[in-house]
Amino acid sequence: MKLTIFNIENWKEIGATLARNKTRTFLTGFGIFWGTAMLAILLGGARGAKDMLMRNFDGFATNSAIILTSPTSLPYKGHQKGRYWNLDVTDMERIRDAFPSLKTVTEQYTSSGVSFRNGKYSYSGDVNGASPEYCDVMAPTIYSGRFINQADVSLERKVAVVGQKIVNELYPGDPSPLGKDILVNGISYSIIGIAGQTNEISLGSRIDESIILPSSTYRRAFRRGNTVDIIMMVAKDGVKISDIEPQIKRLLFVRHSISPNDLSACDIFDVSEQFEMVDNLFLGVSLLAFFIGFSTLLAGIIGIGNIMWVIVKERTQEIGIRRAIGAKPSDIIVQILSEGIMLTAVAGIAGICFATAVLGIAQYLTTNEISTPRFQMHTGQALIIMVTFIILGTLAGLIPATKAMKIKPVEALNDK
Amino acid sequence: MKDVNKTYPGAVPLHVLKGINLEIAKGELVSIMGASGSGKSTLLNILGILDNYDTGEYRLDGTLIKNLSENKAAEYRNKMIGFVFQSFNLINYKNAIENVSLPLFYQGVGRRKRNLLAMEQLEKLGLADRAHHLPGELSGGQKQRVAIARALITNPSIILADEPTGALDSKTSHEVMELFKELNRQDGITTIIVTHDPGVGNQTDRLIRISDGVIL
Repeated sequence: MKLTIFNIENWKEIGATLARNKTRTFLTGFGIFWGTAMLAILLGGARGAKDMLMRNFDGFATNSAIILTSPTSLPYKGHQKGRYWNLDVTDMERIRDAFPSLKTVTEQYTSSGVSFRNGKYSYSGDVNGASPEYCDVMAPTIYSGRFINQADVSLERKVAVVGQKIVNELYPGDPSPLGKDILVNGISYSIIGIAGQTNEISLGSRIDESIILPSSTYRRAFRRGNTVDIIMMVAKDGVKISDIEPQIKRLLFVRHSISPNDLSACDIFDVSEQFEMVDNLFLGVSLLAFFIGFSTLLAGIIGIGNIMWVIVKERTQEIGIRRAIGAKPSDIIVQILSEGIMLTAVAGIAGICFATAVLGIAQYLTTNEISTPRFQMHTGQALIIMVTFIILGTLAGLIPATKAMKIKPVEALNDK
Repeated sequence: MKDVNKTYPGAVPLHVLKGINLEIAKGELVSIMGASGSGKSTLLNILGILDNYDTGEYRLDGTLIKNLSENKAAEYRNKMIGFVFQSFNLINYKNAIENVSLPLFYQGVGRRKRNLLAMEQLEKLGLADRAHHLPGELSGGQKQRVAIARALITNPSIILADEPTGALDSKTSHEVMELFKELNRQDGITTIIVTHDPGVGNQTDRLIRISDGVIL
């Protein structure tokens, strides 16, 4: 038996039939085109949106937590409730010693509304004090120069890492004023680095709009003694900070004479929980996109089946003629199926191309100088969509094709 | 054809052919006449292997045609029978030459050869200048001649024509009948014409009358 699928004559016949029935071909093709495009756009869009949101976390250690203090809410050991208390350097050292599962324990100091000057230019913003370990928690983007190092801290160097935006304001026309001086609260510091941040998480103001000094330098300049504003921790891989949270609180409460039952005196803000939440949210969004996309695809396929059904109905007489002049049932089924497959393939490829263009535009519009969210599909992904569609389209065409095959030439010829 | 019976099943089974005995020799031009409901269309369908019969025997060119598979029936129809219908039954989105060559497509003949043979056939019937016209652009007589060309292209054993002049005016009818006679006389093609028009029936060599499922 000759293999009809590989017969060039057959494909010519199919091409001619499709070309002669332009409206029908177009309408069927459009359904498939739209289905493929929708699925591809939704999948790509969900991924792009996730990338855009994940951009907010860029450079921030996800397995980290921050300790913040609030006034006590219970009286304890002779202290009134509503007492203000501060974390201090000893707390930090104790936590570091007591919990080896923490990779980093570091501090941050913040003063707001500090004035910065360079000659006639002035600006007002936050000053932070930080150690080199700060980078473990939240890696700033260093545009030029370097971040604070251990020597800066040990030697209490009068150096500063300056936010990009401050540089723009205070040193107009000089994109990289490294080594120049900047006045912070009237004290002169040498600029060692210019920094910014890509994520949207900030403790206080954004790095772009603040100045970071070595922790020791900060303590002296702002007369902070032993206290620290917040303690930041990064856990080792596989360790959940929420598991050791009660022990950390107990340690702090004992040291600062706070009732062990006080629920509001100390807040441990677990970033991993937030991160997990966003991750779950996007798992949901991806599932939703997949569900909607798949539904569209299914609707498209049912559409193909439906249109093929109508086509078979509409062509009953033609099929009868073909049968009368010698077409075998298999010739008819191959013809109807091949027409469907050819249409699906051509329209599907057009749909993928359209989706690629749309996603490309989306990607172009959301790209900023820092990062590019990935909206585009992988070639493999596009191929899977295509192949799925062709297979399902073939299956959908099978029912009408079988019906066409069963048409008796006599009945078909009388069908007018 | 020996004692062919055909009953359509149903709530009231319809016995349409009641023992048909018929022999048509090679090269004959015969017509089958009968009123509507007489069973002539059923007879034609069985002759054309478009329908099965229940009992009896039908031999075409010595081959027993009985209980054939769909594939076998299609093959025999393609090779042994040429159909001409009252309503022409051309495929309306294919031009004359494509319509004529379609039976050869199902024989697996290549496009070039198909078109060559189809063109020859159209030339023979004086339609060479209409080869690339769609059926909608042809007159009734031209359409019927295209249909006859399609019936002839496979060199069939018989031509079966079902009311071939039913949709044509008297002048064109006459031309089409002349064509059938000429084809029969010159090429010796066995032709069976089903009609209810005595004017058509009288032009054939033999007139077979059928009434109420039996041959008179």
